[in-house]
Amino acid sequence: MIEELLQSSPGWANFGIFFLLGAVLLLIVLGFVTYGILAERKVLGYMQLRHGPNQVGGKWGLLQTVADVLKLLLKEDIIPKAADKPLFIIAPAIAFAPSFMVLATMPFTDKFQFADIGVGLLYYIAVSGLTVFGMVLGGWASNNKYALLGGMRAAAQMISYEIPLVMSVLGVILLTGSLNLNEIVTHQEHGWFILLQPIGFIVFFIASIAELNRTPFDLPESENELVAGYHVEYSGFRWAFFMLAEYVYLFAMSALITVVFLGGWLAPFGFLDFIPGAVWFALKFSVVVFIYIWLRATLPRFRADRLMEFGWKVLLPIALANIFLTALLKSLFF
Amino acid sequence: MLGFAKGLKYTLKNLTREKVTYDYPNKPLPLPDRFRGIQKFYPEKCIVCNQCANICPTDCIQLTGKKHPDPAKKGKIIDTYDINFEICILCDLCTEVCPTEAIIMTNNFELAEYSRDMLFKNLEWLDENDENIRQVNKA
Amino acid sequence: MIRTEEMILNVGPQHPSTHGVFRLVVKIDGEIITEAKPVIGYLHRGTEKLAEDLQYTQIIPYTDRMDYLSSMTNNYILCHAVETMMGIEVPERADFLRVIAMELNRVASHLVAWGTYILDLGATSPFIYAFRDREMIINMLNELSGARLTFNYMRVGGVKWDAPEGWIEKVRDFVPYMRGQLKGFHDLVSGNEIFLDRVKGIGRYTKEDAINYSLSGPNLRCTGVKWDLRKDEPYSIYNRFEFDVPTSEEGDCLARYHLRLAEIEQSLNILEQAVAQFPGEGPILAKVPKIIKAPKGEAFVRIESPRGEIGCYIASDGKKEPYRLKFRRPSFYNLQILPKLLKGENIANMIAILGAIDIVLGEVDG
Repeated sequence: MIEELLQSSPGWANFGIFFLLGAVLLLIVLGFVTYGILAERKVLGYMQLRHGPNQVGGKWGLLQTVADVLKLLLKEDIIPKAADKPLFIIAPAIAFAPSFMVLATMPFTDKFQFADIGVGLLYYIAVSGLTVFGMVLGGWASNNKYALLGGMRAAAQMISYEIPLVMSVLGVILLTGSLNLNEIVTHQEHGWFILLQPIGFIVFFIASIAELNRTPFDLPESENELVAGYHVEYSGFRWAFFMLAEYVYLFAMSALITVVFLGGWLAPFGFLDFIPGAVWFALKFSVVVFIYIWLRATLPRFRADRLMEFGWKVLLPIALANIFLTALLKSLFF
Repeated sequence: MLGFAKGLKYTLKNLTREKVTYDYPNKPLPLPDRFRGIQKFYPEKCIVCNQCANICPTDCIQLTGKKHPDPAKKGKIIDTYDINFEICILCDLCTEVCPTEAIIMTNNFELAEYSRDMLFKNLEWLDENDENIRQVNKA
Repeated sequence: MIRTEEMILNVGPQHPSTHGVFRLVVKIDGEIITEAKPVIGYLHRGTEKLAEDLQYTQIIPYTDRMDYLSSMTNNYILCHAVETMMGIEVPERADFLRVIAMELNRVASHLVAWGTYILDLGATSPFIYAFRDREMIINMLNELSGARLTFNYMRVGGVKWDAPEGWIEKVRDFVPYMRGQLKGFHDLVSGNEIFLDRVKGIGRYTKEDAINYSLSGPNLRCTGVKWDLRKDEPYSIYNRFEFDVPTSEEGDCLARYHLRLAEIEQSLNILEQAVAQFPGEGPILAKVPKIIKAPKGEAFVRIESPRGEIGCYIASDGKKEPYRLKFRRPSFYNLQILPKLLKGENIANMIAILGAIDIVLGEVDG
């Protein structure tokens, strides 16, 4: 259906349909963010021998995030006097928009996808790199020293880890011969890329944590050093936008890992095909999210200079070696 | 690489462990008998010896006595007795020196009020504060 | 040409990792600190001056509030000083209760130090595990003294309360439990590569520096100086127990981290022996006059608190209040080396170094 719409001539009707579809996806993503945050707090709580949210919305705290967001909406909008006002206002939007844009190419199942473009993987990585502008601008516009340091760290970290991230998926691209996410998935029918590309997967996973700014790579907003990093001066809904961007990226990155390395919507074995693809996708996706949360519950934070060294001196060479190895294997066996 | 894997195992194990949090304020906190909370005062036991006011490290106790209404009896009886809980540190010294156990500690510790004036507790209030009274007062 | 300049960053007094109201004015070049200046005094309450108007018993609750993570040792140092001046012999049972309470408190204090240190480094869970076990100690001390932090438990000549029924058994059961937990703590953090990367070789100083800066406690022992007042100048009944003084040669943050965990183990050893030797009966308070008056003169005593050497100097002119009271507060002295350690480090290391010194602001500011 979407293919047809994309081919059809532009018009207000098409615009309306796309707008509606976008809104629907946004609602789905917001639903994930709402319960993703809740899941994170619950899992963290359980790992830390606590209950996590259990007051608003029954025993499981089902309405806790909703209440939190409502509270943020009602908060007074504070812009510091010395802040660069236009930049300060636009920065959260710049940070959020790309995180939502990348979802357009994500094939959740073989039918549920918005844009099946040829360079889906490249599109994802290119667009997701834009978010760092929002962070740096937010940090700069706040006119706060902690925010500035946080913004600088964000920029340095994003640039250094984007490269191993791209390099590590090159192995997958070599094996598939395509940048199209659908083709990557269908190529995994006989074996997921996590098995064929274990090194690539590990490098990609580590780099993805850094891209997501999550523990142990949460340096841009490291609470114990920079108080809150680049969003230290933000409050209310502007702050919520940064948070939203972060969790939408969690959604997107987990989905991408599922698609690229875990076989997307495909069942692990042929005889399990009767279970719909959406369920498989959701299962794999949840496992990835759980691992992110689990790591957060365990690991301390990297140091800024070691982070750079780790990115350039460890991850990048490994990723490059992986490319050569894959190329070698491909020319010999496939 | 084994080091952080051990840590991951430890946190995963704790996922299903019993929770250690208290369900406060839905359930009252279990407190030992010796716990030092807001004092309970027995006006009839007080002999106005002023020892509690003297020992108080923060000078938060103010008391006045009056002559015994029965002229046949000697001594004084308590007239006013105020504790200022803005500065009281619940150190237990007043109950320690009281010769007649007229002032003793309770297990009530919830001192949050909407106004500072409410933290100024007088004789009547301290007399009515008669729940969760400490059983053993002298070692 | 890019113009660069150093900027002054105010860390604190409200900052998540300064462990209280501590302010650090750092001059940074990018993320590298070129100059650091600690600013203290935000929690100054004038304990020493206030004490000049208070009777000795009344000062005890004030000592609770200095190093609020180990009030028992603070209680002890004051009582010990007054007892030394008056020549009071403390009953054996009271001594045992004091040692058990102090060692329990030392374990609790090191647990907080451990948990918050890892929290400073960015991992949240260890903090909660440490506090779970600390909560058990706090509950035990609550049963004993009637308060969770400000114990006000010791008196000149003994202790206020005898151990409640079954309490000694609880302590006995706690020792093996805590040993098991310590193993888990090592699993969780000590081998973690990221953690090691953060602390190994960071904040290093030499033996000479440590002595010249008058450091004490784990901050001194991490450089290889075997100095623990419980061993070297035994007070109370510490000479009756077998325990080691763990030391380390590295003098970095990792050494201090390991020393604190090792000290917990040694405290557990002491607890085990103290519980086993605990006398069945006996008074808990020596015969002391109703109004305590230290004789004319002066005295200085020092003991080993979890943070180092805590000392108490009393000058008395024979009245019931001291003429002058002075505490040697270990956190205050340990903090003095901070500007030297911070020069040339980056912001992440600043937090690691400050956390490893393990200060308590109530004690720094007095």
